[in-house]
Amino acid sequence: MERIKKTGGKSIVISAAVWAVTYFTCLLIVKELSPSTLVGVILSFLPTITFAIFLYHFIKGVSSMDEVERRIQLEATVFAFALALLMIMTLGLLDLVVVLNKEDWGYRHLIPFFVAFYFFGLFVSRKKYM
Amino acid sequence: MKNTIKVERAKKNWTQADLAEKISVSRQAVNSIETGKFVPSTTLALKMAAVFGTTVEILFQLEQDD
Repeated sequence: MERIKKTGGKSIVISAAVWAVTYFTCLLIVKELSPSTLVGVILSFLPTITFAIFLYHFIKGVSSMDEVERRIQLEATVFAFALALLMIMTLGLLDLVVVLNKEDWGYRHLIPFFVAFYFFGLFVSRKKYM
Repeated sequence: MKNTIKVERAKKNWTQADLAEKISVSRQAVNSIETGKFVPSTTLALKMAAVFGTTVEILFQLEQDD
């Protein structure tokens, strides 16, 4: 059981790292090298492939966890999803009232918030059950 | 929901880690079930009862507010 969990955890971390590297590489190329529109669109969709691989390993990892850990993951995800929804909703409303600077509040700047919401949810849920 | 896991463990002289290994969950999971923070599924409750050689009714009892 522990062995499966450790192996699953390792593949989640590796696939997440591959996804992050792909994303930041594509971001760097698109931002700094200003490629043609076609190449830019292809590069924008490229991290989707590595994200799909990460998602596969994450779901596989969660399904091999025990039921307490699965509950913790579920609550963390629900927490992150609700906060992400709230953030987008608030920014959407704010965008109608004040002009938000896209260099500070563009889509790509929201990603760290969503990741932070998940880890905060994980922290809260772990504290509740462990 | 209250439980007698700690008592049953003491009878067998098992640690939480021993029990966790026997029912294929983490030690933290056993701890959270034992302290009543998490109510296990029917499958896990039956597994626990089986390893202790007792029944689910002895291991878990409903409380008035359940």
